[in-house]
Amino acid sequence: MATEYVKFVDVTKCDGCRACMVACKNWNDLPAEPQDFLGSAQSHAKTTADTWNVLQYIEHENSRGGLDYLFRHSACFHCTDAACEKVCPEDAISYTDFGTVVIDHEKCVGCGYCVNNCPFEVISLKEYVDKNGDKYRKANKCTMCTDRLEEGLQPACVTTCHTEAMQFGDKAVMIQKAEERVKQIKDRYPNAMVYNPQGVGGTHTVYVLAEKPSVYGLPENPKVPTSAVVWKDYAQPIGKMMIGATTMAVVGAFITNTIISKKKNGKNENGGDSHE
Amino acid sequence: MQYTDCALIMGANPAENHPISFRWLTKAKENGGKIVSVDPRYTRTSSMSDIYAPLRSGTDIPFIGGMIKYALDNNLYHKEYVAKYTNASFIVKESYKFEDGLFSGYNADKRSYDKTQWAFEKDAEGNLVKDFSLEHPRSVFQLMKKHYTRYDVDTVVKVTGTPKEDLLNVYKAFCATGQVGKAGTIMYAMGTTQHTVGTQNVRAFAIIQLLLGNIGLPGGGVNAMRGESNVQGSTDFGLLYGNLTGYLNAPTSIDPLNATLAGHLEKETPKTGYWSNKPKFIVSLLKAWYGPNATAANEFAYQYLPKGNKNYSHINLFKAMYDGKLEGAFLFGTNPVVGGPNAGKEKEALSNLKWLVAVDLWETETSAFWQTDAGSNPAKINTEVFLLPACSSYEKEGSISNSARWMQYRWQAIKPLGESKADLEIINELATRIKGLYKNEAGPVAEPINALYWSYGEGHHPDIDLVCKEINGYDVNTGKLIAGFGNLKDDGSTCSGNWIYCGFYPEEGKNRAKNRDKKDTGMSLYLNWSYAWPMNRRILYNRASCDPSGVPYNKEKAVVWYDAVQGKWTGVDVPDFVATRKPGDAGFEDPFIMMNDGVGGVYAPTLNDGPFPEHYEPYESPVQNPFSSQEINPAIQLFDGKFNERGFKADFPIVATTYRVSEHWQSGTMTRNQEWLSELVPHMYIEISEELAKEKGINNKDEVIVSSARGEVKAYAMVTKRFKPHKINGKNVHQIGMPWHFGYKGIATGETANRLTPHIGDANTTIPEYKAFLCDVRKV
Repeated sequence: MATEYVKFVDVTKCDGCRACMVACKNWNDLPAEPQDFLGSAQSHAKTTADTWNVLQYIEHENSRGGLDYLFRHSACFHCTDAACEKVCPEDAISYTDFGTVVIDHEKCVGCGYCVNNCPFEVISLKEYVDKNGDKYRKANKCTMCTDRLEEGLQPACVTTCHTEAMQFGDKAVMIQKAEERVKQIKDRYPNAMVYNPQGVGGTHTVYVLAEKPSVYGLPENPKVPTSAVVWKDYAQPIGKMMIGATTMAVVGAFITNTIISKKKNGKNENGGDSHE
Repeated sequence: MQYTDCALIMGANPAENHPISFRWLTKAKENGGKIVSVDPRYTRTSSMSDIYAPLRSGTDIPFIGGMIKYALDNNLYHKEYVAKYTNASFIVKESYKFEDGLFSGYNADKRSYDKTQWAFEKDAEGNLVKDFSLEHPRSVFQLMKKHYTRYDVDTVVKVTGTPKEDLLNVYKAFCATGQVGKAGTIMYAMGTTQHTVGTQNVRAFAIIQLLLGNIGLPGGGVNAMRGESNVQGSTDFGLLYGNLTGYLNAPTSIDPLNATLAGHLEKETPKTGYWSNKPKFIVSLLKAWYGPNATAANEFAYQYLPKGNKNYSHINLFKAMYDGKLEGAFLFGTNPVVGGPNAGKEKEALSNLKWLVAVDLWETETSAFWQTDAGSNPAKINTEVFLLPACSSYEKEGSISNSARWMQYRWQAIKPLGESKADLEIINELATRIKGLYKNEAGPVAEPINALYWSYGEGHHPDIDLVCKEINGYDVNTGKLIAGFGNLKDDGSTCSGNWIYCGFYPEEGKNRAKNRDKKDTGMSLYLNWSYAWPMNRRILYNRASCDPSGVPYNKEKAVVWYDAVQGKWTGVDVPDFVATRKPGDAGFEDPFIMMNDGVGGVYAPTLNDGPFPEHYEPYESPVQNPFSSQEINPAIQLFDGKFNERGFKADFPIVATTYRVSEHWQSGTMTRNQEWLSELVPHMYIEISEELAKEKGINNKDEVIVSSARGEVKAYAMVTKRFKPHKINGKNVHQIGMPWHFGYKGIATGETANRLTPHIGDANTTIPEYKAFLCDVRKV
């Protein structure tokens, strides 16, 4: 059993250099995706199938009337209870011993349930063309460089970070570091907090945020949707026994669509931000 | 930097442009140090600082002048340091005057000063007259006090636009480092230097740092954040137009003394200070260049050195090109059509050349200046252009020197791609072939070429180890490497291609630039990692970290100290002075070994534009100078006519500045051809305040036209809270900023910011004033 690891991102030490974005593309051999001008220093609006981490730049007028220029390395959180893993009809998404969440492209059929159910919106589909010219899709996201972890290396983004805004190590140690750091920076950032949401069982990317999660567009209290739990733990096993996988995909689409329409209507059983 | 109590970052944006330095600032912060960011724009550096203060571009001298006054008025300066370690105690001649923005000795026709009027007073024996009480009315200290009386907080605020509270916060935080045992550092970059008062901006930093006792100790200093990884190395090796290597002055024919080597040595060599050894360095350099052809009988081939009579700065070279006075040019890794000031005119100038050799990794906007894509008509351009493909750093071997003066060796990672060659190989080919062409010729043109000693092995690629050995220097009779520049001779028996590096290769097999020992040898100095000139000293002038008796001002951060038991200096750094001197010995208390007088220069009577920094407005400014009737620096060279149209407030009311982003480098040649960097900053944009955007009806992401007297540039508008209008004398003065990386070649393309910037330069260095000019903005 490998150690359970956490990537600890201290956004208050990040200087926004974006070496993490380049290191990720380099290691994972991802193509560039030039975007239209977005009106800020940010290069991509959010993560995509070919851009697994994005540096957010946020101009924020803080509670004391001052201006903060906030940065956040955003990528997959590698949830302990991962909605993507729950909803995947093909068991293509799984947990590793390191605590990371990975997608098996051999099994992935590109149905997109994981995309629609991720509380952090960090999974995307990519379209490929096979040798017959037929199109097919696969889900893509940050792997926490699991292939590097297997070789005893750290994730590429962490290795390249020069301000130590990112550290990678034993889960308990990292969480303790995060908690200590919050105490140190409370004077400068009164709203500073550890972001390790328990609604998804805690995450394997743990942040020290300078501001409330909503300032970064993050859900205050993300949860694995109940429907996803029902799907994974009850319906899917029974259903797979009773009917074919194709039919199950139709049922899955129904569940997913239900979740999406609920989001759109702004209804939320938790009463918080609509980031299920 | 990690040992600093306060880092004042001004004219620099290290979080974006020198990110690795921020690693150490982060450590300083963890140790309780404060970070202060002073910038017209709230940058990523500002966001990571404890205090941020905005200022209008081009008002650094009022900002620091006010700080000098604040430190003096509030008694915050380091008394002993100022009295003993600076020239504050020196008495200045009566001929020194300052009135309405002009120092004495000004010649308006020549736009220059007679600097002899600013000299120090000497007694009958020729010794300097000093007053250690600092009370003499003509002491440097009192003259400085008087000079900056006018820089009171209210006047400063009116010209810089800095909110008074922010200004005082900065003054208070930084001047707290004047306390004995504290250290403050200043970090600057091109935001400081690229002004018509650029040199004086840096001088202002030097003055405040000397007053606060912040030079020569860990966490102190005036740190130039270099614009390239090897700017330090290239200036060390004579890249500056007025220098040979090792900061030896190139002889000009303007001074008749330079007609002979003896005269040149007499002119260049001070009687006191370490530069009194200069003849050894000059003769050893001539021996390196001319080898056996340099003899005592022929003035060591001194007459083969070119002795021009002009200013050969970038602007002047392009002016000469524009005027049709230059036939050809070699451009090694430079792209002036994007990076040069008033770049549109620089492009025009290139078409007056008969030939142009460009050496680069890619075809750039410069080497392609004649093409239709560049907006040119090839049929009308007669310039013959040669593009030589160059190697990138990974394809060759050599060294770079960082701003801490570490010479770090780097090895070849991959073989050169395609036909590309290392610069060294290209130069070697040129030299050997040119020498071949002149071999059988005589006369004044052929002689220097035939006399040039070029012996770096056989074959196309020179033996780089031989180059290294020549840089270090060796005994020309035995070939034995020289252990350090203290052993160089002026009799022709030694050679050294760059005296300041002499000692990096002290013996066979020991190229210390290759040292890679990660062990901390104390105070994080890592003496066995690479080699720092001079003589592996990591902190220059470290004598100043101790009191006159040799006891460290801060015992916890001690780097050198006098050990009375051993009767000599010791410590974790290499002492930057004669370590065997004992209390009572001459020079024991003089920390500034390279200064003729052994002390730091609060007063600098050698600069072209005055011994004290004085505020003048940028060449183009929307504001009247409140300090005097001299609007612009009276000692700058003016360029006018079509080569340099000047804009005024009526047409161009907005202040503009240029800068870089993390992801692109210089004119973008390397980074705009790299797809992962290109996608991060793919578009040319300007940063503009919400207030100015509203006035102009511009929304975020709109396309806009920026215009100056010299051209127009299309860009996207990034409307941001990080730029605010400056309140100057009660009125709003707007400022915008833009990256200067873009051109039409490569993956990430955009219009070129430098089509807007003026051809005007600093009074001492002629560095262009990229950082403050006038423009207007309109929606497309």
